[in-house]
Amino acid sequence: MKEVELDCLGEACPVPLVKAQKKLAELEIGDILIVQIDHSCAMKNLPEWARTDGHNVEVEEVGDGEWDVIIEKVK
Amino acid sequence: MREKTRERYDVVIIGGGASGLTAAIYCGRARLNTLVIEKALIGGLATYTNEIGNFPGFPDSLTGLELMNKFHQQAKNFGVNFKLTDVKSVRMENEIKEVETFRNIFECKVVIIASGGRPRTTGAVNEEKFLFDKGISFCATCDAAANTDKTVMVIGSGDAAIEEGMFLTKFAKKVIVSVIHDTGKMDCNEIAKAQALANPKMEFKWNTVVNSFEGEERLEKVILKNLKTGALDTVIADTCFEFIGYLPNSEIFKDQLKLTKQGYITTDEKMRTDIPGVFACGDIREKELKQVATAVGDGSIAGVGAEKYIAESEMFRNQIMQKEKIGMIYIYSAIDAPSRELMPMLQEIEKEFEDKVKLNFIDIYKGRSLCDRLDCTASPMTIFYTKDGVVIDGSMDCSKPAIVEKLKSLI
Ligand SMILES: Cc1cc2nc3c(=O)[nH]c(=O)nc-3n(C[C@H](O)[C@H](O)[C@H](O)COP(=O)(O)OP(=O)(O)OC[C@H]3O[C@@H](n4cnc5c(N)ncnc54)[C@H](O)[C@@H]3O)c2cc1C
Repeated sequence: MKEVELDCLGEACPVPLVKAQKKLAELEIGDILIVQIDHSCAMKNLPEWARTDGHNVEVEEVGDGEWDVIIEKVK
Repeated sequence: MREKTRERYDVVIIGGGASGLTAAIYCGRARLNTLVIEKALIGGLATYTNEIGNFPGFPDSLTGLELMNKFHQQAKNFGVNFKLTDVKSVRMENEIKEVETFRNIFECKVVIIASGGRPRTTGAVNEEKFLFDKGISFCATCDAAANTDKTVMVIGSGDAAIEEGMFLTKFAKKVIVSVIHDTGKMDCNEIAKAQALANPKMEFKWNTVVNSFEGEERLEKVILKNLKTGALDTVIADTCFEFIGYLPNSEIFKDQLKLTKQGYITTDEKMRTDIPGVFACGDIREKELKQVATAVGDGSIAGVGAEKYIAESEMFRNQIMQKEKIGMIYIYSAIDAPSRELMPMLQEIEKEFEDKVKLNFIDIYKGRSLCDRLDCTASPMTIFYTKDGVVIDGSMDCSKPAIVEKLKSLI
């Protein structure tokens, strides 16, 4: 089980989602992907996409308008 | 699987939109230990719009995100806690309620449901393929800039569809609107309609619905179907914005609360649901007008309701249902003279028993909620007797000898 960080700071939609989808595909089941974002638009689709895809998701607001989207790959 | 961590709060609010944040502001200000759980962006659906022009207090209209950030900041100022995850299940029937997420179980005295709605989709062929940034969007504000000088499609003719469509004309070179109704008929307000019809960048496809979405990786074409003629019409579009209404986020509550046919939660005017200590507010409620202003009204009522419910629970447990003495709880009504006139006699009896009996009064004219905790059918001139904090008997016999005899038998 490894933890991978993906820096999407400064990137607007749809870039964070596309990058996260690619990265998650490379990981193994049980791995954790942490996507760092600071565009609120990504907060509307990234967690929702990952949940719909069946993964476990939690988000942490690490600063004002800056988030870590934590995705545990389950399948 | 790892064990879930348990945490305790006074109030857990499910959903961080306008109604949940308002409830949080009231709870936080009342010094209740409050948690808001939000699965997406704090601010809810209002963050999907570029202009909120009808929320009082902001005459130079602002974006939904700006307005909601102010709500968020205000709640933080009052010490409200936030957790960004989705609520998976709830158990609400007991006095201590449980709200479960992926890692935690949150225990609380009050649950406020403020889970709002999510955009309805068309259900057309291939729609799923293009959700999540592949060409179908529900948020003009989010995706307008990416469509500069492009052709976009809007589905719907309500206020959101037409107002967001007009906003999109500031970026896109063309906005094609699919309207289900006959030529010239729209669901939006008349002002928006007149402006939209006069907007040279807007084009309307009357009597149409989406038949399918087509494209390789991304959306390229929307195939419309004319409801009158059955003819198909291919529209080349870079993004399709759907504004055809909203569905309530109420699935996780359906086994515990009564929902309307459409899935909305019914409450009374105090935002109370059928379960004591569970409130619902905002767009998730069955109500006439779903707007930020009404979400704020609902949220404030739910927040104050939560505070009162918790205070009353404590009073009920510590005072009315005290364990130290034999308890005599007298139900009366302030506007019912006969029931009021018995009160001095009861106080006399309490005195006669010196320190062994504790008398409490409940005035049902003030509200039934305390009385309902004992027995929801009780009427004025009922006496409940308790021992060790448990109701032993209830009686409408208010003659002095009968009461004295009952008390003696309990001591
Ligand atoms: C495009 C558009 C334009 C609009 N324009 C206006 C306008 O100009 N003026 C106006 O007054 N109103 C407008 N509205 C309506 C307004 O946005 C809503 O009435 C308002 O957002 C309702 O607030 P709410 O808190 O009840 O629900 P919501 O804003 O829907 O918030 C509910 C929140 O709960 C969260 N949630 C749901 N389920 C869960 C779960 N299981 N776990 C955790 N979190 C959960 C959701 O993610 C969401 O953030 C507009 C809406 C849209 C979509």
